[in-house]
Amino acid sequence: MHDLRTAGATPPFPAAPPPPTAGDPAPDFELVANGTATRLSSLRGSPVVLVLHNPEWDPARREQIDAFNRLLASLPAAAEQRLITVGAAHPWLELEFDTSRVALPVIRDDDGSIAQAYGVHDTPAVFVIDERGIVRWTHMGRTPPREGDIIAALTSFAARDEPRSSSWNRREFIATVLGVAASLTISPRLAVAERIAAASTAPGAARAVTLNVNGRQLRLTLEPRVSLLDALREYAGLTGTKKGCDHGQCGACTVHVDGRRTLSCLTFAMMHEGQQITTIEGLAASAGTSGNTLHPMQQAFIKHDGFQCGYCTPGQIMSASAMIHEPWGAADSDVREAMSGNICRCGAYPGIVAAIQEVRANAADGEHGQ
Amino acid sequence: MISFDYVPVDDLRAASAAGAHAHTRFIAGGTTLVDLMRLGVERPTTVIDLNVLARKDASLTAVSDLPDGRLRLGALAHMSDVAWDRRVRDRYALVSEALLLAASGQVRNMATIGGNVLQRTRCPYFRDVTQACNKRVPGSGCGAIAGRNREQAILGTSEQCIATHPSDLAVALAALDAHVHVRGTSGERVIPFTRLHVVPDAHPDRETVLRPGDVITAIDLPSGIPARSTYLKVRDRASFAFALASAAVALDVSGGTIRAARVALGGVGTKPWRSPEAERALVGKAANDAAFHAAAEAALAEARPHRDNAFKVELAKRTLVRALTEVSA
Ligand SMILES: Cc1cc2nc3c(=O)[nH]c(=O)nc-3n(C[C@H](O)[C@H](O)[C@H](O)COP(=O)(O)OP(=O)(O)OC[C@H]3O[C@@H](n4cnc5c(N)ncnc54)[C@H](O)[C@@H]3O)c2cc1C
Ligand code: SF4
Ligand code: FES
Ligand code: FES
Repeated sequence: MHDLRTAGATPPFPAAPPPPTAGDPAPDFELVANGTATRLSSLRGSPVVLVLHNPEWDPARREQIDAFNRLLASLPAAAEQRLITVGAAHPWLELEFDTSRVALPVIRDDDGSIAQAYGVHDTPAVFVIDERGIVRWTHMGRTPPREGDIIAALTSFAARDEPRSSSWNRREFIATVLGVAASLTISPRLAVAERIAAASTAPGAARAVTLNVNGRQLRLTLEPRVSLLDALREYAGLTGTKKGCDHGQCGACTVHVDGRRTLSCLTFAMMHEGQQITTIEGLAASAGTSGNTLHPMQQAFIKHDGFQCGYCTPGQIMSASAMIHEPWGAADSDVREAMSGNICRCGAYPGIVAAIQEVRANAADGEHGQ
Repeated sequence: MISFDYVPVDDLRAASAAGAHAHTRFIAGGTTLVDLMRLGVERPTTVIDLNVLARKDASLTAVSDLPDGRLRLGALAHMSDVAWDRRVRDRYALVSEALLLAASGQVRNMATIGGNVLQRTRCPYFRDVTQACNKRVPGSGCGAIAGRNREQAILGTSEQCIATHPSDLAVALAALDAHVHVRGTSGERVIPFTRLHVVPDAHPDRETVLRPGDVITAIDLPSGIPARSTYLKVRDRASFAFALASAAVALDVSGGTIRAARVALGGVGTKPWRSPEAERALVGKAANDAAFHAAAEAALAEARPHRDNAFKVELAKRTLVRALTEVSA
């Protein structure tokens, strides 16, 4: 689906410029598709709406398609046609979203250079660039902009510049703009890290980091800003640990660091060199079980139906298997309190509590028997 | 998240010197800092990791008895380790309870005592970089005063900011008259806990009296505090939520008369809210409902609610009365 990549000489990474604001020239960049290169500057003469978003802000999501459709519905039919042809005129692949007539070209910015040039990091951003390549309007933040705001921004300069800009009328003009709207996915992961490693004198540069995960020494090249969670999932390929909220509020990312339950989303990977990290993949082995035998907590979750969809489950099990070594009381209410940092959207809590209580009871029996 | 330089330090003096530079932040547990960096609220270009130092110098993570009966909490001790410490549980119940009622098991395993008292407000406008907020961007306005303000403070507010200080531990420390040890670029000093935080006034971006490069090294709990204490926290759900109102109280009652009282409120103040007014209303009185209600009235006399948080006035009063009742039962 995404076979478009940015290319060309890109400067060494660090010292990100601030995002351009209204009146600044839009930083140029090159896109390569099917062997043909196009620069943003080659689109001069027609305005461009640049939408940069991270993978979580997915343009294929229903509500975002709806937003674009509503935007289009406010335009005349002629404009819609124009929209399609403008898109096709450029060597950009277009994505047809379900049955809608909207074709939004989606370009991946795998090495993060476009995002970098625009001073955009984790937050989605929209830039309206006029036909002379000047930024006219910007929006940054997790809340998507209102369509009305984009239209107003476009109309403001389209109206003023109309006589000079082209032979199109104003409505076509706006439609054209939307047609070349590029939706850039910011995913500055491996590619970025490697490129930074090459230019490694820079602050924030990636460097070699050795993490002890599930008893194995993993040598990874990481920037300081890579969370332990992203290091595990995106760099070490250990996707058992889940990302729910990325803000410490759900527990899906729970791992053990030196035996203590820890949220891997709220800590940087670099801070954990020399510590023992255990993920759900290594839990059974950490308890000394061999072969295909599960950890007692995993077995208990299965027995007591401690999950439904399973998304929170690795975090629940990692949390539970560490919680039983903490000095909590024996009651179900103690388990619920101790486990309150692990949210289950499916509401599998009764099974989770039962599973934990069974493991705790068995462990206590074992101790008494000794 | 913006790119930054990661600097682990293993020397306190070096930490202080490095931390004095602009756009620099210390990281301890990271549970406030990483969260806010990911939101774009904090944008340091250098992050100084205090954990290497903590592993090298055990005093920074220890809970230790001082010869004069005080108890010293290393600033880099984890919330969970302090909460479960036998001496803390026996002698400072309100501290242990405030810690165990805060955040989640995982967060408490990561977060430190020093980081906890320096955590930033959970005001939703502060946390959203697209909104106006005087604390985040001085002079940009306050989204909360005219906006949604159910969780905001009712005590210590200003025309510029009404953000609640979110820490539970800090409320207990304010009630106790704890002391904070700080190591700065020009040496060490000790700050009374109640003077660590400042109310917003005209400069909500200033939250404490700390200066660039200051590292909190320890927090001392005094000896001789009233024997019975508690921390009562009221919130929207039973666990894993910030306080809507909370009370940290310690009482000495003998012969039915209150000899000494410590009262601080949480969830309602722009800083951890010690209430000398409530304490004055209690000392020398019979430990009964009338005295507790009088104390609650005194504590909330200056409350200034906004559109959505008027309920907090009554909630805080009832929270305080209940805490006092429980601790004197
Ligand atoms: C989901 C969630 C729920 C939470 N719920 C609660 C709650 O109910 N009650 C509650 O009280 N808290 C709650 N918290 C907040 C949590 O307790 C704090 O984030 C934590 O205590 C901060 O400590 P830390 O060591 O992780 O700090 P860090 O994030 O490492 O640091 C916080 C700040 O303090 C500075 N700092 C840290 N240590 C020092 C030091 N020694 N000297 C000088 N500066 C220092 C840092 O530079 C940074 O600016 C919650 C947090 C999360 C994520
Ligand atoms: S209450 Fe304070 S923190 Fe919240 S928006 Fe207003 S100024 Fe910012
Ligand atoms: S992903 Fe870490 S707590 Fe939600
Ligand atoms: S099993 Fe679905 S979220 Fe817990």
